[in-house]
Amino acid sequence: MRSETIHIIEFRNITKRFGNFTANEDISFGIVKNSIHSIIGENGAGKSTLMKILFGMYASDTGDILIKGIPSRFRSPLEAIANNIGMLHQHFELIEEFTVFENVILGSEPVRRGAIEIQETRRRIIELIDKYNLGIAPDEKICDISISQKQKVEILKLLFRNSEILIFDEPTSVLSPVEVEEFFRIIRKFKEMGKTIILITHKLNEIKELSDRVSVLRKGRLVYEVDAESLDLDLLSREIIGQVETARIPQAREEFEEKEILLSFRDVTLKKDNVEKLRGITFTLSSGEIYGICGVEGNGQSEITEAILGTERCHSGELIINAKGISIVPDDRIGKGMIKEFSIGENVMLRERDSIRFDKKRIRLKARDLIDKYDVRLSDETAALESLSGGNQQKVIFGREAGLDNKLMVLVHPTRGVDINSSAFIYKIIIEERNKNKGILIISSDLEEILKLSDRIGVIYKGKIVSEYIKSEFEFSDDEVKKKFMTRIGKAMIGAAS
Amino acid sequence: MIESILSLTFLAQVLRMFTPYYLGASAANFSERGGVINIAIEGFKIISAFSYAFFTLSFGNPFLSLILSVIVSLLFSLLYAFLTIKLKINQIVTGVGFNLLMAGTAKFLMMLVYQSSSNTPNFQQIPGLPFVSDIPVIGKVAGDYIIITGFALVFISQYVLFRTRLGLRLRSVGENPEAAETLGVKVRLYKMYGVLVCGALSALGGIWLASNQSSFSDGMIAGRGYIAIAAMIIGKWRPVNIFFACLMFAFFEGLEITLQISGSFLPSQIIQMLPYLITILVLIGFIGKTKPPAADGIPY
Amino acid sequence: MSRKVKANIISITVSLLVTILLTSLLLTVIGRNPIQIYSMLAGEVFGTGYGFGQALFKATPLIICGCGLALCFQASLFNIGAEGQLNVGAFVMSVIAYTFDDYLGLMVMPAAIAGGFAASALWGLIPAYLKIKRGVSEVITTIMMNFIALALVNYLLIEFLAVKSTVRTEKIMEVAFIPKLSEYSSLFQGSSANVTFFFAILLAILMYYVFYRTRFGYEIRSVGLNPVASRYLGVRTNRVILWSFLIGAGLTSFVGINFIFGYKGYYEFGFSNNLGFTSIAVTLLAKNNPIGIIFTALLFGVLDYGGLAVNTAVPKEIMLVFQALVILSILAVDKTVKIYYLKEE
Repeated sequence: MRSETIHIIEFRNITKRFGNFTANEDISFGIVKNSIHSIIGENGAGKSTLMKILFGMYASDTGDILIKGIPSRFRSPLEAIANNIGMLHQHFELIEEFTVFENVILGSEPVRRGAIEIQETRRRIIELIDKYNLGIAPDEKICDISISQKQKVEILKLLFRNSEILIFDEPTSVLSPVEVEEFFRIIRKFKEMGKTIILITHKLNEIKELSDRVSVLRKGRLVYEVDAESLDLDLLSREIIGQVETARIPQAREEFEEKEILLSFRDVTLKKDNVEKLRGITFTLSSGEIYGICGVEGNGQSEITEAILGTERCHSGELIINAKGISIVPDDRIGKGMIKEFSIGENVMLRERDSIRFDKKRIRLKARDLIDKYDVRLSDETAALESLSGGNQQKVIFGREAGLDNKLMVLVHPTRGVDINSSAFIYKIIIEERNKNKGILIISSDLEEILKLSDRIGVIYKGKIVSEYIKSEFEFSDDEVKKKFMTRIGKAMIGAAS
Repeated sequence: MIESILSLTFLAQVLRMFTPYYLGASAANFSERGGVINIAIEGFKIISAFSYAFFTLSFGNPFLSLILSVIVSLLFSLLYAFLTIKLKINQIVTGVGFNLLMAGTAKFLMMLVYQSSSNTPNFQQIPGLPFVSDIPVIGKVAGDYIIITGFALVFISQYVLFRTRLGLRLRSVGENPEAAETLGVKVRLYKMYGVLVCGALSALGGIWLASNQSSFSDGMIAGRGYIAIAAMIIGKWRPVNIFFACLMFAFFEGLEITLQISGSFLPSQIIQMLPYLITILVLIGFIGKTKPPAADGIPY
Repeated sequence: MSRKVKANIISITVSLLVTILLTSLLLTVIGRNPIQIYSMLAGEVFGTGYGFGQALFKATPLIICGCGLALCFQASLFNIGAEGQLNVGAFVMSVIAYTFDDYLGLMVMPAAIAGGFAASALWGLIPAYLKIKRGVSEVITTIMMNFIALALVNYLLIEFLAVKSTVRTEKIMEVAFIPKLSEYSSLFQGSSANVTFFFAILLAILMYYVFYRTRFGYEIRSVGLNPVASRYLGVRTNRVILWSFLIGAGLTSFVGINFIFGYKGYYEFGFSNNLGFTSIAVTLLAKNNPIGIIFTALLFGVLDYGGLAVNTAVPKEIMLVFQALVILSILAVDKTVKIYYLKEE
């Protein structure tokens, strides 16, 4: 049996580095023709990078990709498309003002003397729509159709270009449960028609219901591969997460007699473009505690922040914020966290709303104060923040926000892209702030960080906290307890919580 | 007064004034459909009107002069494309600079060559279609090559934008250049096509104005380049709607001229204001909804 | 000196050189000797007190209008509507000045200035409101408002307020005139330069202080640099946009002080002569820095008067070409420096 399987795609020792960061390391595996092959792993595990190499968006540093046994190296997605490989990106590349028809033909328009051959092409497209049961009308405008229909337009684009190998990057993250069922039917139809499907996913049901084979990537390496039939769920969950350093930050944590609830979400739903991003989320944050939210990205994390800051309206449920001001360390340091052209002192002065005048002396004092207190390393205190390293920038933002003395702090990916020393320092500050009886919400996809810092943990999946853990559950006494816990939390993160 | 508006002469007048508006608006539309804002239509009209005057006074041949003037405008368009598409300089600021440059250059050259700050000597108009142009009243409309082009352009631009590969791709780069590029569309190339078509069409508008009055004079374009942009906005970037917007503005202008002659109940300044007022009302959303191409003005 | 400051100096110098080069080329092509023209210009402007005074006089409104525009540009608001704003303001200024001088005496001047400011600010309010509430781009609305302003002022003048068979308002009373510089120094004999010039300098210094030493200025700049981050930092961005537009547009009305109180004594249709657009060039060339604007305005003032001075040798309109080339070359050089020297993008 084994000898008969043909690998339509074979990855051989693929390695890809970005600077010091290794996105893919020596990855080798094959994809069987006319199968559905899932690739699973945490954010940053290297799944997308690998697919982008296959699709010609990146070039690998070393290694080969064999397609139908022939080494292929596409220099651009267009070359990949010409070789019948299609990729459905998470982010749609559609033109909202165009009709479905126009979107599908753009770039590959059949023309006769410059004029588009409308009738014939339309007929072909309608045929494809019928054949795969896509249920979209060619003359509707993209801006008038639902997200799931947009996704079908993207699929139609691939079919129109005769793609035989279809790569889907987390295709169901934008779909409602009913739409997911429909999507599954389409995928099965593809297989029936002889196409090969690669599915990047975070969700267990997609593996269980669709896949023939599963590859698990972790930190750029292929760590586990198995036929879907013989899948061991516990093992899979653990492999996705891998070995996690779970030692808690040793710093003493003060316990407070009087606790007040600073933040409470009760059954909150939030819609964006008519898609529910938060689906009845419930959790509370009290003073003197750190509440960590972990989960695969895109499950509603950013919407939590937006709801708290009031930039997005909640659709239903109850959100109570019991604090005068909110200190926020946003996910995008440079885009949201600071004015990069301003100096440290200027950023601090801008955030503290207490003086009308911005004289040089005060700006310098503010800067010195923060530099000393938060160990910021720089040569010139009047330099623009953009000239600082990522770690130092983050320390500045932390210092600035901590200095505001707001009872409620929201930290999003607090140490992303920050060096180890700065991270350690930032952790120290977070505990210190907690010990001032502040309530701190940490949203992070770095599980290690969440385990190190939190007093309580909530796992978010599809816009809901699906399970919550208190400190005693993750202050592990022995390896067995830890293993059990990691299996549980891993399952929760991919939607397999019992 | 009513009689003077209902007359055939008035209609002919309106149809004639329509031409420079539609050429300009259609020019702006081709550029903006490709995502490049060009607020220098006014300047392009000025420089090509002057060029036409210069060439026809120098060489005498109106058709050769027409071609040469379009080439002058295309050269300026190439520079505009280089600055806004290749160097990605802010299109508004570049447009302001171009208006100053082209208006200044025309003034300078007029003074240099004709020693006048107001107008050039008179020259011959572009001859009309044989026979047709001899018909009284309507001959001046139906026999004019550029006017005919202007009207044909309604159909041509509708066809080009919505039925050809060029049009589809041009619109795609104005709406979502990233998406277009993933499908292999050469974004900058199509943007440049848009800018060049814009230069050529606005040149025709300027040339017609100069030919029509048989001379180039300072201030003769009189904001028509901006009214063209207004017509494009009111026409919601659609050739047929723009046609009606231009017809409306041409009607206003005809009205203004007629009223000045026959004594008025409405001051001409108020009529002059109308295109701009209507544009603002449209932008606010009082009169229909209007939306520019999604990536309009954003360098890529 | 930071790399950015160096880059600014490089791009301003290079673009001036490019412009001079292009203009020289043009002069050579038409058979003039560029060196001769430049020395003629310099001799006329810097050799005589009159010429120098005229250059100052021409620079004054550019400084004032540039300061108003800088306020908008710093907040990333493309106010193309200065031409309309300043005409409305100056018109109202003159009307107040000659209508109420009997009641107010010398106090008519502050009243007129305040009225002019309010009128221009109102003209800026409309695009600001539309931008904030309706998300309409200020570029188109300000362009449209220019034409509406000019038509409206023209209408009011001709129908009601103009002195018969002219396009100007009545003259203000003699005592309200601002002293000419020639009253203090015979050096400026005959030139129209007046004390408004110093007022313009003060305004520029004040604006510099506002931009770089006050919360308001920092908020304006932060909104201009990064509106999203500004919101995270607690800046109320819409309010900042509204005030910058109002004050920026309002300030443009002050050009009327130079013309009405310092020079003619009345508002005259067409007095601005594209001032609102030339100021855009002046402001951009100075990178929106008010102190820089003083110098770029002086440069443009020198060119403006210098054009007249060389008119016998070459049409003065050459200076219009020069000014336009300056603005286009600063844009092009700036981008090139950004790409190749600062390695941005």
